[in-house]
Amino acid sequence: MTTLELPTSLDAALGRAGEPRAGGTDLTERRRLHLSKGTVIDLRDVPGLDAVTWREGQLHLGALVTLAAVAEHPDVRARYPALAATAASVATPQIRARATVGGNLLQHVRCWYYRRPGADCLKSGGSGCPARTGDHLFHACFDLGPCVAPHPSSLATALLAHDVRIEVAGDREHTLASLYGDASDARRQHMLPPGALLTGVSLGPPLAGEQAAYIRATSRARAEWPLVEVVARLLVAGDQIDTARVTVGGVANLPLRLGAVEALLVGKPARPETLTAAAAVAADGAKPLAGTAYKLDLLRGAVLDALERALAQPPTPAAAPAPAPT
Amino acid sequence: MSPPISRRGVLRGTLGGTVLVGESCAPKIVSERAEAPAAAPVATADSPSQKLEFTVNGVARALAVDPERTALELVRSDLGLTGCKESCGHGACGACSVLLDDVPVAACLLPAVALHRRRLTTVEGLAPAGELHPVQRAFMAEDALQCGFCTPGFVVAASAFYRRWRAEHGNAEPDRDTVAAALAGNLCRCAAYDGIIRAVQKASSGAYEEPLGPEPAAPRYDARDKVTGAARYTVDVQLPDQLEGKILRSPHAHARVRKVDWSRALALPGVFGAVDLLHGGTTIRFAGQEILAIAAVDARTAEAALAAVDLDLEVLPALIGMDAARADGAPPVYPTRNTRKSAPNASEGPLLPLGWDGNLRGPFQLFSTAKHRARRAVQRLREQPAEGVLVEGTYKTQVQCHSALEPHACVAHWTAADAVTVYLSTQSVHAVAEDIAERWGLRRDRVRVLAQYIGGGFGGKATLQLECVAAVELARVTGRPVRVVLERREELTTGGLRPAQEIELALATDRDGYLQGVTARAFADAGCGVGSNSTVLLRLMYAKAPKDIADWDVVNHAPPGKPFRGPGGPPVFWALEQAVDVAAERLELDPILLRKRFDPNPARNRLYDWALSLKTWRERQPAQSDRGRHRRGLGLAVGGWFYFVQPSARLQIDAGPDGIVASTACQDIGNGTRTVIAETVAGVLGIAPADVKVQIGDSSLVPGPMTGGSRTTASLVPAAIMAAEQLRDELLERAEQLLGVKGVAVPGGVRHPRGVVTWQQLLAGSPPLRFVGTRKRDQGGYFLPPMYDIAPGRYVAGALQIVEVEVDTRLGRIRVLRSHTGVAAGHIVAPALARSQAMGGVIQGIGYALYEERRLDPKTGALLTGGLEDYRIPGIGDIGELDVNFVEDGYERVNGRSVGLAELVTLAPAAAIGNAVAHATGFRPRELPLRPDRVLQGIRG
Repeated sequence: MTTLELPTSLDAALGRAGEPRAGGTDLTERRRLHLSKGTVIDLRDVPGLDAVTWREGQLHLGALVTLAAVAEHPDVRARYPALAATAASVATPQIRARATVGGNLLQHVRCWYYRRPGADCLKSGGSGCPARTGDHLFHACFDLGPCVAPHPSSLATALLAHDVRIEVAGDREHTLASLYGDASDARRQHMLPPGALLTGVSLGPPLAGEQAAYIRATSRARAEWPLVEVVARLLVAGDQIDTARVTVGGVANLPLRLGAVEALLVGKPARPETLTAAAAVAADGAKPLAGTAYKLDLLRGAVLDALERALAQPPTPAAAPAPAPT
Repeated sequence: MSPPISRRGVLRGTLGGTVLVGESCAPKIVSERAEAPAAAPVATADSPSQKLEFTVNGVARALAVDPERTALELVRSDLGLTGCKESCGHGACGACSVLLDDVPVAACLLPAVALHRRRLTTVEGLAPAGELHPVQRAFMAEDALQCGFCTPGFVVAASAFYRRWRAEHGNAEPDRDTVAAALAGNLCRCAAYDGIIRAVQKASSGAYEEPLGPEPAAPRYDARDKVTGAARYTVDVQLPDQLEGKILRSPHAHARVRKVDWSRALALPGVFGAVDLLHGGTTIRFAGQEILAIAAVDARTAEAALAAVDLDLEVLPALIGMDAARADGAPPVYPTRNTRKSAPNASEGPLLPLGWDGNLRGPFQLFSTAKHRARRAVQRLREQPAEGVLVEGTYKTQVQCHSALEPHACVAHWTAADAVTVYLSTQSVHAVAEDIAERWGLRRDRVRVLAQYIGGGFGGKATLQLECVAAVELARVTGRPVRVVLERREELTTGGLRPAQEIELALATDRDGYLQGVTARAFADAGCGVGSNSTVLLRLMYAKAPKDIADWDVVNHAPPGKPFRGPGGPPVFWALEQAVDVAAERLELDPILLRKRFDPNPARNRLYDWALSLKTWRERQPAQSDRGRHRRGLGLAVGGWFYFVQPSARLQIDAGPDGIVASTACQDIGNGTRTVIAETVAGVLGIAPADVKVQIGDSSLVPGPMTGGSRTTASLVPAAIMAAEQLRDELLERAEQLLGVKGVAVPGGVRHPRGVVTWQQLLAGSPPLRFVGTRKRDQGGYFLPPMYDIAPGRYVAGALQIVEVEVDTRLGRIRVLRSHTGVAAGHIVAPALARSQAMGGVIQGIGYALYEERRLDPKTGALLTGGLEDYRIPGIGDIGELDVNFVEDGYERVNGRSVGLAELVTLAPAAAIGNAVAHATGFRPRELPLRPDRVLQGIRG
């Protein structure tokens, strides 16, 4: 028989066997599909995890901050514009009102072989990946194996473009890289030990004067999982690109940072030909599946789009933010 | 069957549109009642429950709930607030939107425990009792709805936007995109989006702060019940002691049933009975095929019981898709003559006997005309290309699912041993009641089928189907009311689909652009179903041209097709109307002028003249004018469709001191049946439509038409006119008797030398009057005489579609910017509703062209697009700007001068989009849907 636990403090929530629940937008469906069984540790009554605060010049998002709050928060919009744009484009208004930072980072893949009754795949404890040999129209084009479902967290794509630190109660502090590992164990969605709780993320200091954009390539206008998504953050000094961060999602079972693209941007003039040359290498090193080669073209286009869009944005404010009252 | 058979009945007839496996056409129904059904296992002492305190619509509540419960279950079942609808079950459609502390959330993904110490508002609580929220008023007045099933969710989400917008912007009007962004979490399958946007814009700018005037508050007769959540759909029916039925489905696409034993399941507490749905068959032919159903106290118990069924299937190799079925040496899906007879009928009509060759059934070529001339014309141009223009190509389309937002649903209740009342989400209360009576051996007047509100149909709910068979038989065997509701994944599996097509089409003109012939061979993937014809519809187009047309079914181990709004139409017009445009390009002719050369059809010719007069058309840019990233193009396509008449259709008017009641055993699936009846009767008498009480959705009323095959308006309007005129004439006579002088009928009553006496005054002292109007045949008869109580009319209705698109050549996305729709379907009875229906058809066409695609695993045949997240119907941001123009001339010989347009309007949009993409980019698409990957590939060459 399933049980529900409603701990009333963070300490009480730690060390429990079961799956934590924040907004429930992912877990509720997985419960119905019996992909999640056993105890649910509902964080409803755990205080202190739903605040957006400045801490030592860095913006901190509590794990229970909703995506709607991230998208609408004036400091996020002003200082971390790519993150705000990313959060605003996820799912639907109804879901963004409930979905949380922690839940979005730790949600399970959306693969259509996984999210169905009687799923039999690596993620659900089976021995093979039916998408790899079956219909993988929406799957990875950087085949990092063994599971080929794209990483589902748009927020992770955006956070990878920032020097984000993941705070975990009951475990060490993580980076996104250490949070997700190398994806070699398809059974795991993340590397947190049982009983630990992701409590928040620190975004790193804002980059004064940055220009940033988020691009989500989809068929429909809204409310759709991305075929490819790109976050670009650029800092232009004089007419030279001083700093560049380009991360992509929808293309691999992890969010990826495109170092080769960044390398072709940094130190170059902020001109169209620079962006074109950099975007051209966006899919270098990709290993598409039989049905996902189209994503390479799409990825190059989306990276170019993000770079162009970023340079069209007004730079973020130069002055350091006033620390918020605590 | 291994379980002991305690009750058994052999039922007659066949199941239209459903699946019969096995080798017999005389299905048997085997069912069993649990020995001693134990009480409910839920909410016992050892099952933990969670105490909640919260307010619902302003009222404080305290409840203990099962911790696994969702807010949706709590709201609908525990609180009985059924305005909140379950549809997709995973947060994609917004039909379950509720306000949590004034913020819209999806109740289906909200754990019930999250309500603790929060404020919950449902559609029922948006306004004080008896009053309306400004957004509700706007939805009524702007006709922002059709079937109404999604409406409460939209209204709830829009009310939050309204509040926020007005707080920040006062009376400023939000633009369309702002509204679309706020409502991106709500889907409407009828696609009443244009009205929704308009309603929200107007409400948010303060246009509906005051109560609506006395009359008319809304162009749609039943709008108020739909915007308030009061409209009760089949899924909302809750009878005392009602059980929940769940269906066990095959996980395999091809299997032999070795053993089914439900005895362990029946022994579980809370389980009441089971029914076999294989009807004696032993072969599974698609993944998701129904095997049996079990009724239990609730859904979870029924699901647990399904898991306890001992099911032994011998898994066999499956053929998924047409290529596998056509491959050399592919074993036949239907190996024998008897099994072929059991293939489900994917068409609307009776199946004609056709030959089989392995998995190919056909050719169906009865409707070729001068086929040798057509072939010669094509062949000649192959040999001598300079003699004219030959356009040849293969055009492919995908499987499209009906996916009405109210799933197939039935609640059956035996009120006596020989009498059953069936609440059913159906497009035909009358015909289904007859089928139930026949199958269960009941007198027709002992079967009552009720469907007050139906959450969309689109052709998928036209006949007696297995959810109804299961519910009726489970209710019979258990002696309790039983409800069976399909989940979204089931709905997307067996709820209905438009077959995929491969159409090889050739079109030959002479050097001057006169049509010499069309040849077409179509191969249909209706899964394991047969009868999907598309090329026959070419006979509706360019009538003088010779045509060699043939259809084949390619049967394979996939769910069977069903008739879907304009069956066969969108695929064949996708092929034909693009080929015509290619010919126009080669001839360097205006595509409209070329069509005028081809086309003697008077309805379409009126539309050509309208389109030629449009500024949009006159001032269109040359092809491929844009060379940058975003390229715009304008495309046009036309379509033609039958109208149908159901000769048995009746409309009864009862009049007396209590008023005027018009009734018929028809139903309203969002098409506006109630409104059409009220408008027509009111029009004859010159009174307000609201003064006509309309009763439908009940098979005990006089026979009415099925709401399908574009027949409702054409069948009912003449019957309504006849009955209303009889009433009018009777009251004229009565006035003469009372007044002693002859009067004349004027709007509202009878004028006589001394003044006017109203109908109401005349009826005040009248004995009850009853008149039954019938549907008289059209002048000159029909195209074909009535068969199976349906006759195709003599005239072909016309639609013309212009679409302006923008193609993003970088990200492969196509955006529809604007569409202009011309409709020639005679007199429009209810213009606001007709416009909404036409736009809905266009938007469904946009979905077909750009997004919708049912996908199966290529090896196992398992459904991959099992939810509305992966099966992508158009959203409110995908529609562009739309307008509809009715050209109402013609149809003088049609009784009532009104014909249907529901199917007509959805035929041409995909082809118009194809032509627009080619006009924008030079890429001539051949395969649907036009996904970004295909667009990028097409543009790069």
